[in-house]
Amino acid sequence: MAGADCSDALDRLFEYIDEELPEEEVQRIGAHLKSCPPCEAEHQIKEKIKALTARTGGEKAPEELRIRVLESLRAVRQDG
Amino acid sequence: MSTEDLDFEAEALSYMDQLFAAALRMTRNGADAEDLVQETYAKAFKAQDKFTPGTNLKAWLYRIQTNAFINTYRKKQREPKRSDAEQVEDWQLAAAAEHTSSGLASAEQQALDGIGDTEVKTALAELPDDFRMAVYLSDVEGFAYKEIAEIMDTPVGTVMSRLHRGRKLLRDKLADYGAERGFSDKRAASTTGKEV
Repeated sequence: MAGADCSDALDRLFEYIDEELPEEEVQRIGAHLKSCPPCEAEHQIKEKIKALTARTGGEKAPEELRIRVLESLRAVRQDG
Repeated sequence: MSTEDLDFEAEALSYMDQLFAAALRMTRNGADAEDLVQETYAKAFKAQDKFTPGTNLKAWLYRIQTNAFINTYRKKQREPKRSDAEQVEDWQLAAAAEHTSSGLASAEQQALDGIGDTEVKTALAELPDDFRMAVYLSDVEGFAYKEIAEIMDTPVGTVMSRLHRGRKLLRDKLADYGAERGFSDKRAASTTGKEV
């Protein structure tokens, strides 16, 4: 398969980052990124934003919610 | 009660923190998020016989929660700027754009280094619901496109389109925050050719 060009690589960057591409595509895009600094820069920006977003989760369910959920579980089990 | 029931309950309950965090992103409001998670579990426990053991319980719960959000909460909230979403150009056209100059790219990277979690959360909260949830499910929860498609009840192509659009909007918003810290000066410098 022919090597990837810039528009090819840029089109697939999100899929590359999200690990959604088949292995042979990963190789093609990866090889292009290695040889093309502007595409690699774009890759890094997208990676960085994904990493920033990934850090924002992690809130814990409040205790009273846990109690409410267990109560509704009990109610369902009694009905059933 | 069968061991299967107990396994189902224990596993379902183990996702409560994650469902709550996702509910916060959906409703953008702590009280509504709690109600939404409560409703999700009530529905899940009642519909337990519709779940196929051995399949993805976490994705199944997210799907119930997404439906509950659409049916109950979204109706009572004002749909945020749907027209903005429609105005974003098609992602395939956007993706055909060329990469930026190296000076601009490194200025943007530097600006991103200074972005805090609060700014990212604020920027995410401003995205239209469907875009925000696609980005959240992929980036925070690490769901595969196929799983997001299942959760959002939409084709994989739509998931990809929502991810592209959502991330583009998010990036623009983060660039705006960066600009408030002087990224704009660097952008101006790089487009005048100094770093090209």
